[in-house]
Amino acid sequence: MTKKDAFQGYDPGDNFCEIFGPAGEKPVTNPLAKRLAKYNTRTLNQRNSAAERELQNLGITFTVYSDSGAIDRILPFDPIPRQISQSDWRKIETGCRQRVTALNAFLTDIYGKQKILNDGVIPKDLVLGNKNFRKEMVGVKLPHNTYTHISGVDLIRDENGEFLVLEDNCRSPSGVSYVIENRHLMMRSFPDLMEGVKIMPVSDYGKRLRGMLIETSPPRIQDPTIVLLTPGVFNSAYFEHVFLAREMGVPLVEGRDLVVDENDRVFIKTISGLERVHMIYRRIDDDFLDPEMFNKESMLGVPGLMRSLKAGKVAIANAVGTGVADDKAVYAYMPRIIEYYLGEEAVLNNVHTYICREKDDLAYVLEHLSELVVKPVGESGGYGIVIGPKATKAELTALRRVLKRNPANYIAQPMIRLSVSPTLTKAGLRARHVDLRPFVLTGKEPWVLPGGLTRVAMREGSIIVNSSQGGGSKDTWVMR
Amino acid sequence: MMLARFADNAFWMGRYMERAESLSRLLMVTESFAADQESDEAWEPILSVFSDTENYAERGRPLTALNVARFYLTDASNPNSVISAASMMKENARALRHLLSTESWRQVSMFHASIVNLQKRRFALSRLSEICSAIRDGCFTLRGVLDATCFRDEVWRFNQLGAAVERADQVTRLIDIKYYRFDRDDDDQAAPPDVAWWNTLLRSASGYHAFQRRHSFNADPADAARFLICDRHLPLSVTNAAEAAFYQLTRLREDYDARPGPQIDRAAAALKARLAEPPARLSGRSLHRYLDQIQREIIALANALNDRYFSPA
Repeated sequence: MTKKDAFQGYDPGDNFCEIFGPAGEKPVTNPLAKRLAKYNTRTLNQRNSAAERELQNLGITFTVYSDSGAIDRILPFDPIPRQISQSDWRKIETGCRQRVTALNAFLTDIYGKQKILNDGVIPKDLVLGNKNFRKEMVGVKLPHNTYTHISGVDLIRDENGEFLVLEDNCRSPSGVSYVIENRHLMMRSFPDLMEGVKIMPVSDYGKRLRGMLIETSPPRIQDPTIVLLTPGVFNSAYFEHVFLAREMGVPLVEGRDLVVDENDRVFIKTISGLERVHMIYRRIDDDFLDPEMFNKESMLGVPGLMRSLKAGKVAIANAVGTGVADDKAVYAYMPRIIEYYLGEEAVLNNVHTYICREKDDLAYVLEHLSELVVKPVGESGGYGIVIGPKATKAELTALRRVLKRNPANYIAQPMIRLSVSPTLTKAGLRARHVDLRPFVLTGKEPWVLPGGLTRVAMREGSIIVNSSQGGGSKDTWVMR
Repeated sequence: MMLARFADNAFWMGRYMERAESLSRLLMVTESFAADQESDEAWEPILSVFSDTENYAERGRPLTALNVARFYLTDASNPNSVISAASMMKENARALRHLLSTESWRQVSMFHASIVNLQKRRFALSRLSEICSAIRDGCFTLRGVLDATCFRDEVWRFNQLGAAVERADQVTRLIDIKYYRFDRDDDDQAAPPDVAWWNTLLRSASGYHAFQRRHSFNADPADAARFLICDRHLPLSVTNAAEAAFYQLTRLREDYDARPGPQIDRAAAALKARLAEPPARLSGRSLHRYLDQIQREIIALANALNDRYFSPA
């Protein structure tokens, strides 16, 4: 390393480092690290500022609305890529396919014969009493039994470098637009860093997505019309909706553009009259989808959509009622669910999870509160999580009280250390925690996008990577 | 397959884009005349032409050049300001974003950001002309980027249609700043604007040199009015803008099976006829009335477009 190089002062501590490997061992020699060492901190920061300015100009942003108008903000971008080796990727890919296959089998079952419940593998009330279980979907047949067409599997890497599943996302996982835009941005801003490196491409996601949506459209339709249904410009993921509609070449519609007739057919309002729609990729929550069936106040949805879905005249991706499968309470049972439907052991392990509704687990959790991470079930985006080792006495006392009052509402996990990846700061490259969200598309068969969203906690020591709480993202290179 | 809502957004994106440009032109013209006057009276006509007199009075600010200029440039609470037009343009573009070229959205954002930037510091009157000309440059760049990169689909047609309708309307207002007074019966003696004013107007409409080539050196103000209203070859003439709108209607009819229908056809024919037959005397009250009639025809056309394309059953 030369005197002013960007790695000066880099210290992964006792964390697993995505570039140098496990702590305490001789650092792996990594060609990317060699290349990076040639840059000095100032150059990297200057180029990164230019890259972020370009993100702003291109509108790769989320929008914050306030009284003073619309403000477009970018997600912080870190230009130091995260690499995944071929062998690591093979395991992730196999594991994600397995997991999503099991999730779809589970959803088909609980909205069908409910064998898994009758066999007592998973408590009945945990599924049927779950607020995300939609009884309206019981008995509805879906093309290829696909419920979760688009899934995101959140992975973390422990101190030994093992990939573990932290969470499944079967409703409307977002972030794939950043996977692709981050790659484009790297190609424009850091071509020298990528030169000659063999990376799996991510750019055909839109084509794959469209192909999958055609595959899962109602049967016997030659050339199905697909639309992407957005809550509108006020939604924080609106850029992603724009991005995906553009990549697929389909209209980006709002609820008010759609209408369902008395024969349960769905139409869009065009300048030449009504035109039939066959497949809706929706980015609206179940609750707001159809005021006839769910939230009556919803202005975002389309009255009659559920009628049409039940009649098989339209397909909706992801299907209604998938939220029960990515619930944190059901997550704990995933190893058993995989075993039950596929007769296989899980390729990717769960993070060990204590189910507070089970007596022994609750007792353990209450005793070890200050060591555990406690999460409310049925929440997403990192809300309501209490990190034991970082919580104050008062916070722990309050937590103990709610746990005793309503144990079934919580799970707990040991404090896991997320792996770190070199991340650019004003002072140079520093170790910051990262996770990984690969995206899985399922028509007849699941397919995993060779890449994924690497989220990075930009603050030192933080393990909260959620973009809603200040996390940034990195380009993710799956090597080939 | 074009959603009615997208047609609406594309149309208004075009209108607001053009409105930002026209407003800056109007401010420039006013400023260049007000500069040789002692009082700020020259700024009153803009308020009248846009029927903003009351709206302005509600703010309780004295009628000074700087206040009126700010009212039309950076006052976000004035729906008819450059900042409002830029914001509305951006919001309409946002709803259409997946159908625009990435270069277009980039330029829309950058243009909007440059206008927002004006709000940060109070500017002096001496900078007004520089600011207005920067805004016009921004509008020209945006138009150029759209022209160079947009796919020629229905979105493009409606965007160009909106821009053309707005341009036609705004040019009538630009001329009317010196003629609206003729509407008042008691004020018939008002002095008509002189040749210098018309020359400024022609320059602001990028038509001064072309006008010199077309007309003898002792051309009459009425010739300038006729040129700005009826000349088919001047990009900023009312007739040129109207014909651009008619052209887009033809394309919609022939290329997209989106027939304009009888209400639009009637409104378009009425506007065409109006422009083809200017009154014999293009000055004073007669000119003001003519401009007023044209504005009404344009409004009727815009209403017909709304009924046919933007408000689905």
